[in-house]
Amino acid sequence: MITVFVEPDNETHAFERHNTVLMLQKRLGLRVNDALVIRGAELLTPDCRLNDGDMIRIRKVMSTG
Amino acid sequence: MKCRKCKTPAEVALPSHNTAFCRDCFSVYFTGQVEKAIRRHGLINPGERVLVALSGGKDSLGLMLELSRLGYDVTGLHVDLGIPKSSSAARAKVEGFCAAHGLTLRVVELEKEGLPIPDVKRYINRPVCSACGKIKRHWFNRVALEEGFEVLATGHNLDDEVARLFANTLRWDAGYLSDQGPCLNAESGFARKIKPLYRLSEFETACYAFLNGIEIHTAPCPYSGGASFTGHKRLWADLEYKSPGSKIAFYDGFLKRGRPAFAQVEKETGAPLAPCEKCGSPTSTGLCGVCRLAIAVSERRAADPDRD
Repeated sequence: MITVFVEPDNETHAFERHNTVLMLQKRLGLRVNDALVIRGAELLTPDCRLNDGDMIRIRKVMSTG
Repeated sequence: MKCRKCKTPAEVALPSHNTAFCRDCFSVYFTGQVEKAIRRHGLINPGERVLVALSGGKDSLGLMLELSRLGYDVTGLHVDLGIPKSSSAARAKVEGFCAAHGLTLRVVELEKEGLPIPDVKRYINRPVCSACGKIKRHWFNRVALEEGFEVLATGHNLDDEVARLFANTLRWDAGYLSDQGPCLNAESGFARKIKPLYRLSEFETACYAFLNGIEIHTAPCPYSGGASFTGHKRLWADLEYKSPGSKIAFYDGFLKRGRPAFAQVEKETGAPLAPCEKCGSPTSTGLCGVCRLAIAVSERRAADPDRD
C-alpha cells in the first residue's frame, strides 16, 4: 500500500500499487512538472520506483494568486 | 535517471531542457539562471540596495534567499492584505523566513492604511485580484522610492510572465506590451523593477524552495477562485508538455521582436505621467488609482449600515 498526501488540496489517497512515480502522476492526472513528488527529504524523478509502505507527498506547484 | 553533470541519481527532471540534475548540480543550475538574467538585462548594479517583494510563496522567498547568497544588499517587503486567516498565515511564513536567515523585513499593513482587501472586495465593483495587484504594486513602488532603494525585485517566474504576456496579447494591450519584461527601468516616479527568476519555471522555483528547506505559504488566496491567470497557466502547461521549450521561446521572442515595437508605439501615444495630488505616486490622472480606490472604499464603508 502506498499512501499519498496531496498539497495544497490536503487530500490523502491510498493506492494498492504503482510501479513508478510516472504511473502515480498519471493516476492523479498530473504531468511531470505539475508537482513535486516527495519521499522523506528527497525529490523523486518520474522513473523512480515506488515501494510498498511508501509515504509520498505531492506538492502542486502552480500558484493561484 | 542520472544527473547530466555528475551522473549521480537525479532528483530534478527538466523535460523543457531535456535534462535532469542531482540537488547540488540543480543548485548550480538555478544560480546560473539567476546570474544570467541579472547579467543579460543589467538588473542590479554593484552597491545598489534591493527591495524584494515577499508574499510568503516559493518564488519570492526563493528569490530573497538566492539574491542574499549572491551577496546583494536585500531587504524584504511584505504587504499584509488584511484577509482573515489567510494574510496572518502568509505573514507568519515571511517573518519566520527572514528571522531564520537574518534578513531585514519591512511590513505594510493595508488595514492600517485604510484599504484592507476584504473592504475592497466588498465595496468596489471590479475584479478583486486586479485591484489587489494594483494596491500591492503601489506600495512596493512607494516604499522603494521613499526609503531609498534603487531596485524593486519581484519573484515572477517564467510561468507567471508567459501567462501575463499571453493575457496582454489576447487583448492586444499595447500599454502593457510596451513594458513587460525582466527589467523596467526607473523613470517618472517609478523605481527600477526587476524579475530575476524570469528564466526559471514554477516547478524549478518549487524545487529550489524544497531543497533549501524554505517553509512556504501554500494555501491559495480565498479570493482568487476563477482568476483567468490560472486558466492561462493551464493552457501553457499543455503547450509546454506537447512541445517542451515553448514558454521560453515565446517569451524570449517577444523580448527580442515584440516589445521594441510596442514600446515605440507607446512612446508616441502614451499619456504623460505626473505625481498624484494626494500621495505623489505617478499617474496619468490627477489622483492615482489607489488613492481613488481608498476614497471610494472609505465613502462606501461610511455609508454602509451593515458594516462591522
